[in-house]
Amino acid sequence: MNAALIYLLLLKATMTSFAGMGSLPQIRQDFVQTRAAITDQQLSQAVLAGRATIGPMGAYVVAVGYLAGGWSGAIAGWLAMITPALLAIPLLSIIRRWHHLPRLRAAVDGVVIASAVLLVGSGVTLAIDAIQQLSRLNA
Amino acid sequence: MTPDPSEQSTGLRVDGPSLRELVAAVAFEANRTIGGGNVSIELLRRRFTSRGWMDATTHGLFIAVSRFTPGTVVLAYCVSLGFRYQGWPGALLALTLASVPGALIVFGLSVTFTQIEPYAIARALLAIGILVAGGLVVLSAWHLIRPYLHIGSRWRASVVVIITVALVVAGATPVRVLLAAALVSCLIPMRDEKP
Repeated sequence: MNAALIYLLLLKATMTSFAGMGSLPQIRQDFVQTRAAITDQQLSQAVLAGRATIGPMGAYVVAVGYLAGGWSGAIAGWLAMITPALLAIPLLSIIRRWHHLPRLRAAVDGVVIASAVLLVGSGVTLAIDAIQQLSRLNA
Repeated sequence: MTPDPSEQSTGLRVDGPSLRELVAAVAFEANRTIGGGNVSIELLRRRFTSRGWMDATTHGLFIAVSRFTPGTVVLAYCVSLGFRYQGWPGALLALTLASVPGALIVFGLSVTFTQIEPYAIARALLAIGILVAGGLVVLSAWHLIRPYLHIGSRWRASVVVIITVALVVAGATPVRVLLAAALVSCLIPMRDEKP
């Protein structure tokens, strides 16, 4: 898979999430379901790698990039992870001015709550995948 | 430390760390736990407040910025921190130092997982690890939603959860689900919000 495409797909996922693991549902849809670039099992391994390391949990996108496109994909994954953080600079001045607006806070709250619901679905999918793998090994 | 006059108007202290001190603090505090970004943020807050570089108001501002910024919360926090005290060099260095070590370890683990996958025992261990990861993902979701379960936000949280589940069942994409959640949450009357 092309590194530029990996970057754009992962960027779509990271730009539309508000927590490290919040990008997981979008990544699963783009990389597993729509493009079949990686399998559910590989996505689970990426999440495991991300959870087993120091630093931000969102680093699992580096593993997704690697599994989809090798080392160049890993670099694309790292870039997709850090790019949204740069938006903090303009937001720093905007939020100092508008953070008191209840509607703006409410919109972000809605996104965070919906991210949590989507994460539950992703977590359950991971657990089912792991149980199926263990069942196949026992068979 | 004498109060800075500019702090009264901006809510921000200007006598922060030097670039070297900033780099050392972020490199150490953002990369010494595996508990995720919230732990790192707390460690950074402790370090910066104990040195007199940051007050509670500034920390609150950085927290708000990092919650509003898409992507990984701790990276946005580090960028805010770096930019506030040392401009663009501080922001870029903080972002790099907070993300590269973890990314390298993730890369190494991915390569290792790929190489050991053919072995049955390795597959079994990976499956158990993935099961644990699934549980941790659900736990992450709980940590995200827990702040909204207090009495003032419960109504909003319930409506957004119901809408989200309905959209997921209907087959909506995650982006559309998140946009709908933002819109619905925005439109819910503020009657139950604390002032």
